[in-house]
Amino acid sequence: MAKVNTMADTKREQRRAYWALVLPGFLLYIAVMAFPTIFSVVLSLTSYNGGKLFGGKPVEMVGLKWYVRLFGDEYFYRALKNNLWIVLVSVLGQIPLGFFLAYVLYRGLVRGKDFFQTMIYLPTVISTVVIGILWKSFFAPHGAFPELMRIFRPGYEYTMGSHPMIPVLFVILWMYSGMYMIIFMANLQKIDNAVIEAARIDGAGEMQVLRYVILPALSGVIVVTAILAISGSLKSFDLIYVMTGGGPANRTSVLSIYMFDKAFKGAPNYPLANAISTVMVIISFLLIGLTKFAEKKFGGRE
Amino acid sequence: MNDIKDRNVRSRISSFFTYLVMIFFTVMALYPLFWLVISSFKTTTEFQMNKLGFPRRWVTVNYKDAWVRGKFPMLIVNSFFYTGITTIAILVFSFMAGFGFAKIRHKATPILYGSFVIGILLTLQSIMVPLFLIVNWVGLYNTRLGVLIPYIGIGMPMGVYLGTEYIRSIPDALVESARIDGASYGRIFWAIVIPMAVPVAVTVAILTVTGTWNEFMLINILTSNDGLKSLPVGVQKFAGALSTDYGKQFAALTIGLIPMLLFYLVFRKEITKGVAAGAVKG
Repeated sequence: MAKVNTMADTKREQRRAYWALVLPGFLLYIAVMAFPTIFSVVLSLTSYNGGKLFGGKPVEMVGLKWYVRLFGDEYFYRALKNNLWIVLVSVLGQIPLGFFLAYVLYRGLVRGKDFFQTMIYLPTVISTVVIGILWKSFFAPHGAFPELMRIFRPGYEYTMGSHPMIPVLFVILWMYSGMYMIIFMANLQKIDNAVIEAARIDGAGEMQVLRYVILPALSGVIVVTAILAISGSLKSFDLIYVMTGGGPANRTSVLSIYMFDKAFKGAPNYPLANAISTVMVIISFLLIGLTKFAEKKFGGRE
Repeated sequence: MNDIKDRNVRSRISSFFTYLVMIFFTVMALYPLFWLVISSFKTTTEFQMNKLGFPRRWVTVNYKDAWVRGKFPMLIVNSFFYTGITTIAILVFSFMAGFGFAKIRHKATPILYGSFVIGILLTLQSIMVPLFLIVNWVGLYNTRLGVLIPYIGIGMPMGVYLGTEYIRSIPDALVESARIDGASYGRIFWAIVIPMAVPVAVTVAILTVTGTWNEFMLINILTSNDGLKSLPVGVQKFAGALSTDYGKQFAALTIGLIPMLLFYLVFRKEITKGVAAGAVKG
């Protein structure tokens, strides 16, 4: 029998190929990310706290009980406040610093661009665990920081307890500024050099080029990085978990550590933990909506 | 004339200060790591008396102890295992999906692809508790598979997004002419799409390798068996338990630092490119 490749056959084969290609990845994604996210929201409205889902203690819908509990918890506001400190350091610290470094390197104001870029970005790639414990030791009473301070001020006594968030914020600035430098570098390189040259020939100084050529061209990127920094700050977890664990006395805790404590430390309270993570997701989705809005409004000028 | 000379002096001074500032930030970035490495060669007794300077006597006993007692060979093998499998699986599955989305017309694409793009925005924290519960229910708690599947799933959205956008730029004509020549979609995927997608595959691989290698939270809650842990978890456990034996603690941290440091020094161009590509999209 001669093989006839009809249109219907090709269509069918195409459809089969499509699903064979797409389905494995999609199922993995649904199982690991999409379903758990929805599940987390559902759990936050129930009384389920571990054990068998069916046949065990009956699971009740409790409405917004856990959210009410959450918004009445002093710990929640303390964690949120620390998150906001991190937001502040990210937006007003990492971004300007990252931009400054990128700008200096991009404009060729120093030689050895590769060297500086490589070294300043280095902290970002190292395991958070290593960074966290390293800085914990560095700032500890037995560490290098009190010793360094004593070079300038003999008899200096350092206690981590006085302002526990300051070392944390410092390390966040130290670790991630390089990332913003890289992002700005990549986008600065997209600016047409001819425009800058033309401005220089017309007599514009370094500051004027920055003010009238480069910053307007980057306005979209600056907005996007700002939102990135905000949502990244709301999620921050690893570093603080390793460095302080939220202590002393929860004074360096953030929302994600609050959630982790409720779920995995001591007696678990999964519904409350899920309520916390749902609040975090809602905040971060609001921010993403804001990005889209900001992109439309400011990004169009590029 | 004087004006030009004046300007020259001024630009030298400003250049000097620019260098000074850049060197300051470089020293700031490197000093803590430098301090860690030199401290790891001191005995704990020496460290307590000499916290900042070079060791008077360089000892390697900390490394020997940490290497054996921290079970680092096993942890490193585990880390390579998790990172290797996760990276390969993400590349294959996400580029397969990307090929389907980009080159085969189907009415389900907007919904499916759209859901992946939303997935880029989801965070690990929001799925940590449910994943822990689900992995327990399906009996994958304390298994390698129970770590790998979440790792792979978490990396899918970014992989699918970058893969699809890139494969779209491959000319349709290439795929169509191969179809007319009788090649199956599977063959087209391996022989045409994959070779042409190498640049974006490098980006996805870089993002996955760094992310997976450094991950420690999820593996910490999904396993309790020491034999299944990865290097960062081992470092945390070992260094945390030895908070007063500074020499060994620093040696363990240095061991934890080295793999990523080497990876970075070899692939720094690709890493910075990949981060810029991945971050702005996120």
